[in-house]
Amino acid sequence: MGDLDPHIHSPVRLRLMTMLTAVSEVEFATLREGLQVSDSVLSKHVTALAGVGYVRSRKGVHRSRRTTWISLTSQGRRSLSDYVAELREIIADVT
Amino acid sequence: MESRDGAPSPEQAAAAIADAEAGRNSLVNDLIVPRLFFDSIGAAVALQIATTAAGLAAAGSRSGWILVAGLVLFLAVSGYQLARFRSLNGVWLGGLVNRVVGGTATAASVSYVAALGGATWAAFTEVWWLVPLFAIAGGAGYALSGRAWMRRYRSEPASHSRPYSAASLTVVSVLALGGLVLLVTQR
Repeated sequence: MGDLDPHIHSPVRLRLMTMLTAVSEVEFATLREGLQVSDSVLSKHVTALAGVGYVRSRKGVHRSRRTTWISLTSQGRRSLSDYVAELREIIADVT
Repeated sequence: MESRDGAPSPEQAAAAIADAEAGRNSLVNDLIVPRLFFDSIGAAVALQIATTAAGLAAAGSRSGWILVAGLVLFLAVSGYQLARFRSLNGVWLGGLVNRVVGGTATAASVSYVAALGGATWAAFTEVWWLVPLFAIAGGAGYALSGRAWMRRYRSEPASHSRPYSAASLTVVSVLALGGLVLLVTQR
C-alpha cells in the first residue's frame, strides 16, 4: 500500500474535496456552512489545497456581493480518488 | 487517531469515508430547484421546436426571424433559470447546464431530435395542427429527462455533476449543424 497523501490527510480536507466532486463550483459561504468551520479555517485549507494544485479559487460575485468561488482541479480529483482507494484498501485488508 | 505507522485503522478509514460522503450528500440534498425550473425549460424548448419547424418551412425574409425568436426565447428562459439556481444555492453545476438545459442527456436529445424532425416534416407537408403536438411532446420529453437527471444526480452526485467533455460536445454540435444544413439545402 502506498503512503496516504498528506495534503488530504485531514477530515476537513477530505470532506471539502469530496463535497467539491458534487459540483462544478461552490461559493465560499456555502462551503463553509457545509463544513461547519470558520472563515479562517476554510480559507487556510483552501489556500493549502490550491498551493498543491488540488483546488482552484477565483474571485466572483454572489447575490451582489464579492465572494470566492472554489472548484476541484483534475489533479485534485485524481488525488482524491487515489486517497479514497487507499482508504478502501485499508478497510478491505481486514474484511 | 492513527495507528502506529501513521495510517488510519480500518475503523478510522471507514469513518473518514462515511463522514466525507455525508457532507457531500448533505450539500446535494439541500440544493433547491427553482420553482417551475423544468417546466419552463420544457415550454421554451416546445416553442423553440415549433418556431424552428415553422421558420424552416416558411418562405420569405421572415423565416429567419421566426427561427431566431424561438432560440432567443429558449436562451433567455434557460439563462434566467440557471441564474436563479446559482443564486439560491451558491453552486454551479456543469451537469445541470449541459445535460438538462443543453439537452445532452440521452432522453432529452432523443426526444428533441424526434420532435424537431416530426414538427419540421409536419410544417413542410403543411399538416400544421401536428406542429404544436410534436413541439409539446419534445418539450415534455425535455422536462421529464431533466427531472430524471436530477434524481440520478442526487443518488450519485460525483458521477453526474460534471458536463460532457468538450470533444463529445463538439461531435454532437457538428452532427446537429450538419443535420440543420441538410434540412435547409433539401428544401
